[in-house]
Amino acid sequence: PPAVGAAYAIKRADANRAVVCYFGEGAASEGDAHAGFNFAATLECPIVFFCRNNGYAISTPTAEQYRGDGIAARGPGYGLLSIRVDGNDVFAVYNATREARRRAVAENQPFLIEAMTYRIGHHSTSDDSSAYRSVDEVNYWDKQDHPISRLRLYLGRRGWWDEQQEQAWRKSSRKMVLEAFEQAEREPKPPPHLLFSDVYLEMPPRLRRQQEELERHLETYGEHYPLQQFQK
Amino acid sequence: GQTQKMNLFQSITSALDNALAKDPTAVVFGEDVAFGGVFRCTVGLRDKYGKDRVFNTPLCEQGIVGFGIGIAVTGATAIAEIQFADYIFPAFDQIVNEAAKYRYRSGDLFNCGNLTIRAPWGCVGHGALYHSQSPEAFFAHCPGIKVVIPRSPLQAKGLLLSCIEDKNPCIFFEPKILYRAAVEQVPVEPYNIPLSQAEVLQTGSDVTMVAWGTQVHVIKEVAAMAQEKLGVSCEVIDLRTILPWDTETVCKSVAKTGRLLISHEAPLTGGFASEISSTVQEECFLNLEAPITRVCGYDTPFPHIFEPFYIPDKWKCYDALRKMINY
Repeated sequence: PPAVGAAYAIKRADANRAVVCYFGEGAASEGDAHAGFNFAATLECPIVFFCRNNGYAISTPTAEQYRGDGIAARGPGYGLLSIRVDGNDVFAVYNATREARRRAVAENQPFLIEAMTYRIGHHSTSDDSSAYRSVDEVNYWDKQDHPISRLRLYLGRRGWWDEQQEQAWRKSSRKMVLEAFEQAEREPKPPPHLLFSDVYLEMPPRLRRQQEELERHLETYGEHYPLQQFQK
Repeated sequence: GQTQKMNLFQSITSALDNALAKDPTAVVFGEDVAFGGVFRCTVGLRDKYGKDRVFNTPLCEQGIVGFGIGIAVTGATAIAEIQFADYIFPAFDQIVNEAAKYRYRSGDLFNCGNLTIRAPWGCVGHGALYHSQSPEAFFAHCPGIKVVIPRSPLQAKGLLLSCIEDKNPCIFFEPKILYRAAVEQVPVEPYNIPLSQAEVLQTGSDVTMVAWGTQVHVIKEVAAMAQEKLGVSCEVIDLRTILPWDTETVCKSVAKTGRLLISHEAPLTGGFASEISSTVQEECFLNLEAPITRVCGYDTPFPHIFEPFYIPDKWKCYDALRKMINY
């Protein structure tokens, strides 16, 4: 719903812009999704709803998430022009998004794109997906239908990329990322008094007193806190 | 009877296992419960009791609770899981306007007393804004539901079984930081711990300290510190049920000690300590030797990297206790 509100305001501001709102097929089950779609349609908002359908919401496969024809099929029920694309095809996704955006701005109406793909990784570092799906299934998608591999093949066939560039790029990327990590890890964290910032635009007196209370507390008990990891 | 070493999530599994075994109408449902749950609380239950009794729902908290209310209204036992207490808010309307008022609005013609909602609760070290919340205060303001928070595996199983059997809709918050960390010998067979009864863990004469969930362990440690460093004798109370809460045990204790410290992770303003403080000063005004002290989270969203500074740890509690003694 917030995406839709933003789109409405953008429309009124004649900004010639649209909002794109990304969500998974799991999130589409929330009541908020229904609200978002319906508001976007009734209030004629320039928004592109982009559903990343990757087959799983943590351990929940799509068969347990919905029984209809995915998310795209819901769009027409709301009056949303909808399209389903191969989410692992970079160009299909690009073309659908570009056209949806163009029309959303030109016609002040919402669009729904459902990109079909597969979640190769675990849901998070707290998840071990072997508990609910087979390694064979994961390997199939990883090897046979991976968006990056497909683009790689496409580029290779046109002579725009080769194995040598691939290896060099991987090596330099890895170096760049690891250096960034190391650099970031060396940085001390922001100072603890920022814990109290940005609750409101202005800090209420009661909160300022709590901030001062923490400051005083740390003066006496600071040794028991990881202050060395933080800026002063 | 026979006991087994169980951590908190295993004690939950054990309670659910007992409930499903005893009550053929009981069902357990929520997001990702089928494979065992994101905290492993439901491991093995689907295999044992079948896919019509232990099942995943779509990703929709208002649906999960509403659906649970419906099951309960027919007389069957509904045990709903909300994946994190932080996500309970989409279900707030179902809980407050439907579940809590079901019996009252129908003049006891109908009720959803067979509904229990479980949710992981509280700080976990790295949970940040949306995996650390303690929302009990929002629900304490809602007559018609019960709110229960255990401090340990042994307590959790007995309290959860009581919630499931209680004829009122209950919310059961499980301290997620204790899921693996807390381990105890827990009876394999079912047993009940009564709701709305606080437990005095340690008697004392100088100060009463009240907490629930994880924070009970913090104040226990503070009680030991107070005894050692200040020669102060503390009475430690685990409230256990937030709503309806055991005013008698707490007031009786404060009438004896004259001093009260209440501590919770949830923010200070409007936190449940305010209700306890208000009631105690009404009941025990003349007994009080010092103002009632609350050591709570700050009035901010639950922070990410600043968590060590945010939580009402033993040093903050100890310092507050010291000031109260010297008042």
